[in-house]
Amino acid sequence: MSVQDILDAESELTHLLGAQQAVVLSTRIRLARNLDGLPFPGWAKVPQRKEIAERCVEALTELPKFRRGHVLRMGELQDRDRAVLVERHLVSKELASGKSGASVISRDQTCSVMINEEDHLRIQVVKAGWHLRGTWHIAEQLDDDLGGRLKMAFSERLGYLTACPTNVGTGLRASAMVHLPGLCLAGHMDKVSRALNQDGLAVRGWLGEGTEAAGNIFQISNQQTLGLSEDAILKHLGGWIKNVVEQEWNARRKLAKDEGERFTDRLARSYGILRHARLLTSAESMNMLSHLRLACDMGCLPEELRHIVDRLMIEGQPAHVQARAGEELDSDGRDRRRASVVREALRDFPEVAAPTA
Amino acid sequence: MSKPLKCSLCEEAATVHLAQVVHNKVTKVHLCEACAQKGGATDPAVFQLADALTSATQAAPTTTCPQCGFTDIDFRKRGRLGCPSCWEVFGDALGALLTKVQHEAEHVGRAPAGMLPTGQLRRRLDGARREMEQAVAAENFEVAARLRDEIAVLEQQLTPS
Repeated sequence: MSVQDILDAESELTHLLGAQQAVVLSTRIRLARNLDGLPFPGWAKVPQRKEIAERCVEALTELPKFRRGHVLRMGELQDRDRAVLVERHLVSKELASGKSGASVISRDQTCSVMINEEDHLRIQVVKAGWHLRGTWHIAEQLDDDLGGRLKMAFSERLGYLTACPTNVGTGLRASAMVHLPGLCLAGHMDKVSRALNQDGLAVRGWLGEGTEAAGNIFQISNQQTLGLSEDAILKHLGGWIKNVVEQEWNARRKLAKDEGERFTDRLARSYGILRHARLLTSAESMNMLSHLRLACDMGCLPEELRHIVDRLMIEGQPAHVQARAGEELDSDGRDRRRASVVREALRDFPEVAAPTA
Repeated sequence: MSKPLKCSLCEEAATVHLAQVVHNKVTKVHLCEACAQKGGATDPAVFQLADALTSATQAAPTTTCPQCGFTDIDFRKRGRLGCPSCWEVFGDALGALLTKVQHEAEHVGRAPAGMLPTGQLRRRLDGARREMEQAVAAENFEVAARLRDEIAVLEQQLTPS
């Protein structure tokens, strides 16, 4: 199994195996866990990290969820393949930059476990669309199954023990990847971000911590992990996401009404560029694809085409373009290749019509 | 080798270097630790995590984890702990930090299978007993009966088998 198999497979996020929706692109649950009695990866010596990796890989590959899945050791991968995994959110930049990290990924790419990142285990489950409870139940089940095979570091008072005090307790980070072009265009995003921050939620860009919000896509997640039950954390996030989705729809409808033909024109222009450009940079394509996704949500384009837009957002990223080309490309080469992939994918799209939503 | 910088205030060796933008011009100030402390130059927002454990002026470790050799100075540098036992070793200092960055300093979530979360059960038992007394006082017998059943279950769970 290799990274090429991951690229070629039909996955949850690229091929819409789950139910996909307007506004919320995906729901993600992450649990931080550590083996009892062993130093955390950042402090462990190389042989200890090896032992940790072996024990975790062995336990994970026994689970039904990872049958016919992928086991990838970072030290054995090329730079480009590691970058592909980061762009897919299967591993973090931190894991990809070290040699002793590993990742075990389920066949449909909904479940992925990072080994030897900041903690021994980072269990991640992702579903397309907004499915907080369903995603949580899969993570909970994985946690139970894994807990039956590995003794986890746990304290009655502090819960699951982690390397960083910001993860201790539940070790739970629940998040939604949301597409907010309406709030961005209306200039409300700063206000929304502040409100979320003040109520204990973090707002990040498309690729997580410290990244910019390319394509008007944001990741919203809980910040606190201790002193709140998993249920309380999920309810808190769920309430806010519902609120943000409503605000986003209000902003979109107001824009469509106030701008009238100019609203449709804006989306149609982006469509025109994507359809005909010969060179497309990563940032430009993300921003234009954001308009196209908005067009699908608003009834300007058929809704069933939205998953193609979602796939292009993932596959238009630099390492993906490079990996697909099968040859080393310079920056212009990537932009040329990206433009051709996008043109091909949009070939059968109809014209952008006035909004109906 | 360049000459070590001296503190702008007292001629001691400077270890804190600040760059400030005033009227679009960058002004650099070099301070020794004592003067930096006095002037409040160590930004609490930036160093909040690490400073909760050790004061900024400390040089030698005062606490070492017997399990993994991790020290309070290591925590100051990294903001991460060495091993699960460190949570016990640095418990007091971490408690203060946890109340700052977390909702509460005690876990109320899931536990590994087979690990009885006695602390949580006991807290819930105390709560249920209080609630039952209140329900009885308010002659709310339906609620009191439900709580009585819950208390019985909790007491049974807390009895070692």
